[in-house]
Amino acid sequence: MIVEEGTTKDNVKFYIVDKEHLIEELQKRKDEGWDYLALMSGVDRKEYLEVVYHLSSYSKKGLIIIKARTKDEKLPSASKLWEAATWFEREIYDLVGVKFEGHPNLTRLFLPEGWVGHPLRKNYDMNKEQFVNMDDEGKDVVSFDSKDGW
Amino acid sequence: MKLEEKILEVNFGPQHPATHGVLRVKVKLDGEYVLEAQPILGYLHRNAEKLSEMKYYVQSTVYMDRLDYVSAHQMELGYVLAAEKLVDIEAPERANYIRVLFAELNRIASHLVFIAAFGLDAGMMTPFFYCFREREKIIEMYEMTSGARLEYNYFSIGGVYKDLPEGFEEKFKAFYEEFPKKMEEIRNLFATNEIFVSRTKKIGILKPEDAKSLSVTGPVLRASGIPFDIRKEYPYLMYDKLDFDVPTYSLGDVYNRFMIRFDEMKQSLRIAKQVMDKMPGGEYYNQKARKQFMLRLKGTGEVYSRTESSRGEFGIYLIGDGSPKPYRVRIRSPTFHNMTAIPTVSKGYKISDMVLSISSMDPVFGEVDR
Repeated sequence: MIVEEGTTKDNVKFYIVDKEHLIEELQKRKDEGWDYLALMSGVDRKEYLEVVYHLSSYSKKGLIIIKARTKDEKLPSASKLWEAATWFEREIYDLVGVKFEGHPNLTRLFLPEGWVGHPLRKNYDMNKEQFVNMDDEGKDVVSFDSKDGW
Repeated sequence: MKLEEKILEVNFGPQHPATHGVLRVKVKLDGEYVLEAQPILGYLHRNAEKLSEMKYYVQSTVYMDRLDYVSAHQMELGYVLAAEKLVDIEAPERANYIRVLFAELNRIASHLVFIAAFGLDAGMMTPFFYCFREREKIIEMYEMTSGARLEYNYFSIGGVYKDLPEGFEEKFKAFYEEFPKKMEEIRNLFATNEIFVSRTKKIGILKPEDAKSLSVTGPVLRASGIPFDIRKEYPYLMYDKLDFDVPTYSLGDVYNRFMIRFDEMKQSLRIAKQVMDKMPGGEYYNQKARKQFMLRLKGTGEVYSRTESSRGEFGIYLIGDGSPKPYRVRIRSPTFHNMTAIPTVSKGYKISDMVLSISSMDPVFGEVDR
């Protein structure tokens, strides 16, 4: 169900979809021919988190944008529609902190497991340093004490 | 005595010379054959997206240079196009022609590095020197204009840093006349080498439907038979007025992914020649965006600029909130998606084929990890 629609500054149509109907809407668009997931981005809008899907096509020209908003950091995963979405979602989970429900392997992609916070959030504290080390089993351990790092 | 079958788990990288930087792949091996390969990324992660959020619009081109440092002009181009749309500044026509010229020269230089590195991975040392000799001529052209050889910071919002210097045209002309012969020479080193051909054919096949599902773009996608090129599908600058073809191959194996770069270089040279011939005169920099106003540039709304870099679709999704710094900068890096194809292209092949498969994706880790 489309909550709101409009055009961006570079004349691309965008549709804001409520999260219950997000996968349904994406599937519908994919069947319409928007079969190329060009980009998925997570945006911290302070009151809510937003995930933006840029859909393009291999057969026709153009671009459309689907947006979904969440206040409780949870959104359904689009990993069943595109394999690329599994990677995008891992990255967004890592850096923005949106938890995608139904994702096969939602772990951090770039940062080590155990990292505190999500760097692309607006309230992320840049002055707090975190130090990474490895324990005996080869897992990453994150600590705020510089003595624990290497 | 019966030999026990054992499945071996091996860490490939992050310090392995064949991983082109800091790629780590967790491989499950049955003898020599790869059962499963899982790429682990992030060893070069420095969060360029966050860093760009903390800078003024004009200052972020420096970070873009350090994404794909082998084709830095194209990274700058993608960012600059997005930022110009957002802050409502138009570059003069001459600046845009210079931009396309350098983007295409950059594609040639980048593909030469790819061919050189691939040759090394396949055990050929000689082509490396041939490729770098040719690349040097392009690098000299960069040096003439921007003063830098690797990270140029040459394109900026509103135009380019400096006009083409004296003697550039002759330099380009000499390069244009000489390069096709040299390229053919390099190509023959590979294409007529039976060992190389049989080594790379029919390994690491990426089927078109897998490539589509993984959002793989660029030469890797086109080698799988899909003629998708942003320059044709979603033209930016003056690409719709230029005459060029999109080369495709059909099988999508390592050999196709390698050979397609030669055809792309040919097309890039064609584009560069057309741009050079049509090069208009006039300003190379928008006076409105002169330095004293630069830091006061403000933008609202959101834009997504798509450009075809040497490795595929490079996109910048920029959101402005009316302040002199961007609210959000999102980078779509093509090689990141090419890396996600590693499990698909290496499964069922030998581990030595996996090395060539990774190499044929042309990874640059500044861009993968951002």
